[in-house]
Amino acid sequence: MLIKQMYDWIDLRLGAREIVKKQLTGYLLPARINEWYSLGSVLMVIFGLQVVTGMLLMVYYVPDPEKAFKSITFIMNEVPYGWLIRLCHAVGSNMMVAVLFLHMFSVLMMGSYKSPRELNWLTGFILFCLVQGISLTGYLAPWSQLSFWATTVATNSAAAIPVVGPYLVEFMRGGKLVGPPTLGRFFAIHVVVLPAVIAALVALHLFLLKRTGISRPPEGTKECRNPTPTGSYSYESHPGGVPFFPNYALQDLTSICIYIAAFLAVVFFAPNFLFTPDAFVPANAFLTPAHIKPEWYFLANYQTLKIFPSELLGLSVQVAAMTLLALLPFIDRSPERNPLKRPLFLTLAVGGILLWLGLTIWGHYS
Amino acid sequence: MTYRHTTRYHLRAAFGALVLAALALPHPAPAAGAGHPETVCIECHSSLPDRLGAPVKLWRSSVHAENGISCNACHGGDPNDADDAMNRSKGFLGAPKETEVPAFCGRCHPGVMKDYLASAHGLALGKGGPNCVTCHGNHQVLKASIELINEKNCTRCHSFERARAIRDAMQQTESSIVGIDARIKGFQAEGVDTERLGKGLFAVRNRFHTLFHEVNVAQVKAESAQIDAELAKLDRDLRVIEEARARRKVAGGFAVAGMLLLALLCHLMKKSFD
Repeated sequence: MLIKQMYDWIDLRLGAREIVKKQLTGYLLPARINEWYSLGSVLMVIFGLQVVTGMLLMVYYVPDPEKAFKSITFIMNEVPYGWLIRLCHAVGSNMMVAVLFLHMFSVLMMGSYKSPRELNWLTGFILFCLVQGISLTGYLAPWSQLSFWATTVATNSAAAIPVVGPYLVEFMRGGKLVGPPTLGRFFAIHVVVLPAVIAALVALHLFLLKRTGISRPPEGTKECRNPTPTGSYSYESHPGGVPFFPNYALQDLTSICIYIAAFLAVVFFAPNFLFTPDAFVPANAFLTPAHIKPEWYFLANYQTLKIFPSELLGLSVQVAAMTLLALLPFIDRSPERNPLKRPLFLTLAVGGILLWLGLTIWGHYS
Repeated sequence: MTYRHTTRYHLRAAFGALVLAALALPHPAPAAGAGHPETVCIECHSSLPDRLGAPVKLWRSSVHAENGISCNACHGGDPNDADDAMNRSKGFLGAPKETEVPAFCGRCHPGVMKDYLASAHGLALGKGGPNCVTCHGNHQVLKASIELINEKNCTRCHSFERARAIRDAMQQTESSIVGIDARIKGFQAEGVDTERLGKGLFAVRNRFHTLFHEVNVAQVKAESAQIDAELAKLDRDLRVIEEARARRKVAGGFAVAGMLLLALLCHLMKKSFD
């Protein structure tokens, strides 16, 4: 009764019932919507957790080379539940990249990037790059041997760019070598610039999603073709579809709970799955560890640079592959979205994924 | 199965496979990578035959190589310039004479040198007694451990009887040190602040190592007992950490189970709306 009174009070002032009807109960999704569509919600939860845990870490973390490692050790050992917050942040950053891969994979396979959703794909692709960027900049924060030397290796890759490469490396590092200025700028980019840009792009991504409407899964025949006529804007509605609330919201919640279960399993039972012992040794610019590699999602890039006779060639191949992926909706103009009816696409996509996995494994063991 | 269902089945199977693939990804770790650059000593001697090349092979498996201590650290000279690598004006010392060996090694290990010189072995230096390299090796320098007190080594000069009694008295302590060291290293590799424990073990181990050159069995036994008591304190501290981590795992198990239960509940509720 009290809740109803409160709801009435809010409704009188904000028109809450209308918003709920339009955005939740009356917001209809495709009838055969599947689980893959919930990955976007999972990613939003992960991003939220990263922001919250990052804010909590900032209470004790000191972005100074003399104090950074000690502050992380303090968080892990002295701050109540500091270990949990830090591990959630570190494991979460890796899992965010993994879930992003899955999200992109589903969009690729279901052809959801196709017209008129080119901008959705493009904003998503930029978000993917930014998430890798925020992970890279955060990787340096603990100022451990692993973070110091992995950052050295990663930033050094830019040196392969002709003419501007060495200047770009120096600009990124704030000097010839990774040092205090690198930590300062990486920290600023990690906690201010990239979160703000990512949040803005997520908002744009969602805005585009709302404007174009949710794409249908590529099932059936007629339904999988894009109904939008070329040359004029139209919202893809789904009469007779599934209400977002409660139906699909419950699917979102199911996926989120499964994700959090997997995430907590790593945090509590295998936190070192993502760390090497070098991650717990303070950075030493005069002692290069024998075994140093970038994070798992950069291993394919790392290996590509190694297998080509020149780093410039390796870098060019990567730039070409990324450009192709970014511009995919503008290249693949066919309206067909069913993966089994796109043999050329399916071959290239599966081949590309296997190549990436192969290079990653090769990079790990090389 | 209809075509539509087949597609959905494929998508679900692919989702499952990708999740498994993502979880099965190995963490970035071992591989050959950047190490210490080779000195000109190594570059030149490794290509030389017999007596001149052998030290390089031996050194590679030594505790010195493991810790980045190269030729020039003991023999002097310029490790970066082939012309000055064996120049005495650049500090090149060459190989020491038998009686000079303790002082040669003692530049970096002064405490051990003192223990050695005060021991029966040290007192016999130059009179047929052993020097550092007799037991520890010269280029293939072995880490100081109780394993060095063995029948093969000791019977080169005398019977093994007393040495065996000393080794037996130290064996338990050595095992405890090795075990505690492994536990500390394991925790350090998981982000536990092991600085205090590590320093404690370092002090205990150093004290224990001073016994390595002692040949008085009674004194070895008495000292080992005191060291064991200190090791027991470290063991208690480690147990506290282990218990805390075990509690975390139990809490984690409940959290994971709770989330899976919640997922099942949401799924069933969704089904009821479908």
